Amino acid sequence: MKRITIPIGPQHPALKEPISLRMTIEGEVIKDADVRLGYNHRGIEKLAESKTYIQNIYLMERICGICSHSHTTCYVQGVEALCELEVPRRGLFIRALVCELERIHSHYLWLGVAAHEAGFDSLFMYTWRDREVVMDLLEIISGNRVHYAINTIGGVRRDLNEIQKEKILEGVEFLKKRMEYYTNLGTTEPSFVGRVSGVGILPEEKAMALCAVGPTLRASRIASDIRKDDPYGAYGEFPFEVCTADTCDVLGRVVVRVKETIESLNIVEYIIRNLPEGEIKVKAPRRIKEGEVVSRYEAPRGENIHYIKSNGTDKPERLKVRAPTLANYPATIEMLKNGFVADIPLIFAAIDPCICCAERFVEIIDERKGSRGIMTMAEIKRKFKKPEIKKDFVWPL
Amino acid sequence: MAIIKELVYLLVYPGMLFLFLYSTFCEWFDRKLYARLQNRIGPAYTGRFGILQPVADFFKLLFKEDIVPEKADRVIFSSLPVIGLATVVSAGLYLPLWNFDLRAPGFNSFQGDIIVVLYLLSLPTLILFLAGWHSTNFFSTLGGVRVLTMLFGYEVPLFLAVLSPAVVADSWRLAEIANFYQQFPFLLAFQIIGFFVAVVALQAKLERTPFDIPHAETEIVGGTFTEYSGKKLAFFRLMTDIEMVVGSGLMATVFMAGFSGSVLPSLLIFVLKTLIVISILSLIRATFSRIRVDQMVVFSWKYLTPLAVLQLLISIIVKGIIG
Amino acid sequence: MKLKLGVFIPELLRHLFKRPSTVSYPFEKLNLPKDFRGTPVLRPELCIVCKSCVRDCPAFAIEIETLSEEEKKYRMTIHNDRCIHCAQCVESCPTGALYMNDEYEIATDSRRKLKIEYIYTRPKKAAQKHSEK
Repeated sequence: MKRITIPIGPQHPALKEPISLRMTIEGEVIKDADVRLGYNHRGIEKLAESKTYIQNIYLMERICGICSHSHTTCYVQGVEALCELEVPRRGLFIRALVCELERIHSHYLWLGVAAHEAGFDSLFMYTWRDREVVMDLLEIISGNRVHYAINTIGGVRRDLNEIQKEKILEGVEFLKKRMEYYTNLGTTEPSFVGRVSGVGILPEEKAMALCAVGPTLRASRIASDIRKDDPYGAYGEFPFEVCTADTCDVLGRVVVRVKETIESLNIVEYIIRNLPEGEIKVKAPRRIKEGEVVSRYEAPRGENIHYIKSNGTDKPERLKVRAPTLANYPATIEMLKNGFVADIPLIFAAIDPCICCAERFVEIIDERKGSRGIMTMAEIKRKFKKPEIKKDFVWPL
Repeated sequence: MAIIKELVYLLVYPGMLFLFLYSTFCEWFDRKLYARLQNRIGPAYTGRFGILQPVADFFKLLFKEDIVPEKADRVIFSSLPVIGLATVVSAGLYLPLWNFDLRAPGFNSFQGDIIVVLYLLSLPTLILFLAGWHSTNFFSTLGGVRVLTMLFGYEVPLFLAVLSPAVVADSWRLAEIANFYQQFPFLLAFQIIGFFVAVVALQAKLERTPFDIPHAETEIVGGTFTEYSGKKLAFFRLMTDIEMVVGSGLMATVFMAGFSGSVLPSLLIFVLKTLIVISILSLIRATFSRIRVDQMVVFSWKYLTPLAVLQLLISIIVKGIIG
Repeated sequence: MKLKLGVFIPELLRHLFKRPSTVSYPFEKLNLPKDFRGTPVLRPELCIVCKSCVRDCPAFAIEIETLSEEEKKYRMTIHNDRCIHCAQCVESCPTGALYMNDEYEIATDSRRKLKIEYIYTRPKKAAQKHSEK
């Protein structure tokens, strides 16, 4: 059969953000896949070098709209480690509360997106309707629905009162009931299960070798969660389980996320019931001590890494972000191979891609030689300098 | 006088004008019901309760930019929507609504018109395939191929299911089948399996969820309609709407004892019965997720066709007992 | 796991007779929570022109100009088109001169209309009172 290449993206209804997936297909079967990034590069890392540490919190928040709290927490933790600040326990608890609410909202959103990609618009509408509840909770706590801006260096900016606590408990109860219903629905509805089970297989060894992270990795039987493996903040105190699935396919990823949401709801309940008294923040210095730090954080999509290098001034010298989606791309290629065209949006959506999160670097690919690598600006200038045109040049043919 | 009657029949009722207005109403009904099943509002602002939304959509599309791909065959590409519309409208003329005589077969009601309607309803599928094929776009081509693949799945059960009431009624004429079941309504109880097979097959024919595989937007963008815009897209959308009306009208005729009485009562019965069928179609649309094309073919040959054959067997046995 | 055909139907039919949960937005609006972060507003009588808001604003949306040194006359411009509504200025302000109101429908057809200017003289007494506190 003739092989053709179809472009999925950078503009495609299945993609909410620009990325280019080039699929080589034979009939309806995908034979090869290629991911190309770089449509949404905003130069955030460079911009961070020209802003103060306080200003950078809000810049980090804008890396991504859905895991905005993840990026700030990761960054703030790094800065706190650099200047050896001890964050009060109440501050840590409120931070973790927003983290878990964000995870719940992200997973609800993902469930809706996955249902929409599978053409299951009713489930999409219902999950997004219920997601409004958790969005409203976040708005009550922080004052906004998307960019919570609750983190600051040394703690959190807003405290919780009794009315808010009550509302959160009410919301949690409702969300738990709904999520249990969706668990039942997502695993018993024949047309949906038929679409997701056995699709996008990622075996355990492959997931490990290709460095998948987050729910993608956990759906392949590997119980890896930064909250458990390397507890940050107050996570050492919370009782929760790392959810895994053993089917290694999109259904497994659905199950992992659904279970994780219920775990997160339990954590939220625990936090509200055991919220310690005391201060919510400590005063942070404007100038941060010289040094470098790597901060790890379990975002809803997987492990988020921030690297911060300080040179003793009030601005960071270097800030590097490794968003979880970037780590999942190699595994996605593996999952897509030998799948059906109809499964492309589902498999791609199953890693919960956040494309603008992952637009961090430029890789240069030489199409003629097939070589690829990362270059410095000076190298690019040297290599791609315009050749001088000789005046009496004779065309060789 | 007879000529005026024929002209009214062709152009006003139940011809072009009625089909246009009623199909937009049905689209509104479908959208509203689908929205309410999903706890949404649905169309709300154009006209009362948004009832004019499909009409507004149609006229808006008429005035939109109309693009023909450079490499596409201009004549075929442009004529397909019109031909498609013509086939479904002429299929609508054979529904036994008005202007037919039960005793004397005419040009619009004769022995075998049930086959003609089924044939005319099959043509839009081929037209969609040609539209996808002539768009010279990968997504359209894939959509066109999916249209044909699906055709092999649902066409056989649809024909078997629709023809089994005709076997019991011992007639190939829609008006006579309807009349037969008006006299013996209890016999419809034996057609219940066939009714559901036919409704599912109709859902597949109309390319609605779970069978919206040829224009699955998250997979192959617009599928067959990817390159269509403006007037041509408007005609294609109208074609699908009228196809829904005619298809559900056919279901109502053969499985729900048709529409009796003079002009007004028969119209009311027609509206009621088609809306029942459309409600079932909407409920199916809201309940399931889209399936893959291979799953669809497997489903229709593994479950739908055996059920349709079973229905045919029941019909033959019933026929033997009463005949 | 057992598959059940039409497991969603009861839920769908139950909602058919319920009120839609959609809010038809421009006609009806949801209630805002108490500490909603809308548009930043200045209370000029409290400002001591310490410029900590200017220094901390991540979007460089606040400017303070000196109009006259002797009269202690200043002009603060809040560029609401650049503002990212993080409320860091409210946090940084030592006297509580800035606060966020609950205005969120701020879209206009021109960026200039989003510029808010305050011309004020620095109140000596008020400022001292606050710094004593």
